[in-house]
Amino acid sequence: MDFKERSIKVNIDITKCPECNTKACVEACKLFDRSILQLKDGIPSVSHLSQEEVVKRGTECLACEYACWKRGRQAITIDIPIKGLDKYLKGIPLTGGH
Amino acid sequence: MARLFEYQGKTLLKNSGIPVPTGDVADTPARAKEIAAKIGKPVVIKGQVWVGGRGKAGAIKPADTPDEAEKAATAILGMSVKGFPVRRLLVEEKLDVDREFYAGIIPDSSRFTRGPVLIFSTEGGMDIEDVTEDKILRTKIDYVKGLPVYDGIDIAARAGISNELLNKTAEILSAMIEVFKKNDCTTLEINPLILTKDGQLLAGDCRMSVDENASFRHPELKVDIPREFPREPTDFDILGWWVEETDFRGSGFVMTMGNDKSGKGRIGFHAIGGGAAMIGIDALSRVSLQAANFADTSGNPVASKIYRVAKVILSQKDIEGYLLAGFMVANQEQWHHAHALVKVLREELPKRPGFPCVLLLAGNKEAESLQILREGIKDLPGRVEVYGREYVDDSDFIGKRMLALVEEYRKEKETRGEK
Repeated sequence: MDFKERSIKVNIDITKCPECNTKACVEACKLFDRSILQLKDGIPSVSHLSQEEVVKRGTECLACEYACWKRGRQAITIDIPIKGLDKYLKGIPLTGGH
Repeated sequence: MARLFEYQGKTLLKNSGIPVPTGDVADTPARAKEIAAKIGKPVVIKGQVWVGGRGKAGAIKPADTPDEAEKAATAILGMSVKGFPVRRLLVEEKLDVDREFYAGIIPDSSRFTRGPVLIFSTEGGMDIEDVTEDKILRTKIDYVKGLPVYDGIDIAARAGISNELLNKTAEILSAMIEVFKKNDCTTLEINPLILTKDGQLLAGDCRMSVDENASFRHPELKVDIPREFPREPTDFDILGWWVEETDFRGSGFVMTMGNDKSGKGRIGFHAIGGGAAMIGIDALSRVSLQAANFADTSGNPVASKIYRVAKVILSQKDIEGYLLAGFMVANQEQWHHAHALVKVLREELPKRPGFPCVLLLAGNKEAESLQILREGIKDLPGRVEVYGREYVDDSDFIGKRMLALVEEYRKEKETRGEK
């Protein structure tokens, strides 16, 4: 399962979630974000919100990934794209405006 | 205020009917030779940088032939003018100068004006600040109405321009106002406005800057960073700007400290707040280390933005450490910094074992934040030390700890046979 916030993508391998006893991601979301992750049939989900609401509410706090990694089943990874970083690391010029 | 290069400004002038010398832009000596051959007469090679003093620095050279143009271009390209590299050249026809005038437009925010002011002088070719007041004419411009040619004639006549040049001068002044308005300029200066011996009036140079808040209306200007900048942005500056541009929640400011520097003792620098940044830079300087960059994540930025800033900081080559300089008890929830930094360090430290990091973080939710940091980095192969509010006013200690870890890291690298 995955969902997008304004500038990041949260990926959850929900096959690992049934074995998770803590559901730490949901607790973290409640504490550090705005409870966009909630349990549905024992699995974290954003299906109670529309995509638009997820984007509007989400604060990109990254807490679910940390909580899952530390206290859950390492099921969550968050992609945070950084425009231009790959090019910069390869020494490809970013200036192009002038 | 986003600055434009001379060649960009001249293109805009030309498009608005203001005569400019025949020429083109080159970024290689071969291209300079080609342009000179096309012009077919003596040319001037002008290095394109944002700072003044190009002539004195040797970044403007005449060339009588295409071969000489190539030679001059080779000498100028890559040279440094006041620390800024020359990456482009303007190759243009050499003018047979009879007289030089000055024409400029700047906004005047005083309550008597609150609009653009046209400045004209018959003493061009030097800094307008060096011209005596009696030789300078200032005219308030009605932004909506612009400058009708008949008003331009009046200005030129008052300045003592001869009758045969009145119309030409007035047309240029009038067109300058239109260029100023059309491009949302904050400065437009033609200095010198050259009168050639055969009676032509042309823009010899052009300094133009545009309002950074209006640059979104001008994609054609290709402004890399719509922000007040004292120099041409580096790739690192652009990378930093793209982080800020992605997300305006909180501040995520990253840029180079000056020009591209290298050498030992450079530290990836990440402050929380401008005051903290000054203290952090001092702390590094006192132990002979230097901030490789400037960065500030304050104003309650989201964790994803802090992550991006820290990743950009750590993308710098040859840095010997990373300092999170939270020299303040910040009024923002610091656990967002903690979550972001744990993610960054977990990605980056395995790639550079032993890399020194000093993390000073204080403010709201500090205890929880420090716990996240300590818990998150405890099994990482770096030299990471975490400090809280008890060290906020002890920059000496933080600087010394950074230095101690860097020295350990250097020794370890030497042992491994690395540079």
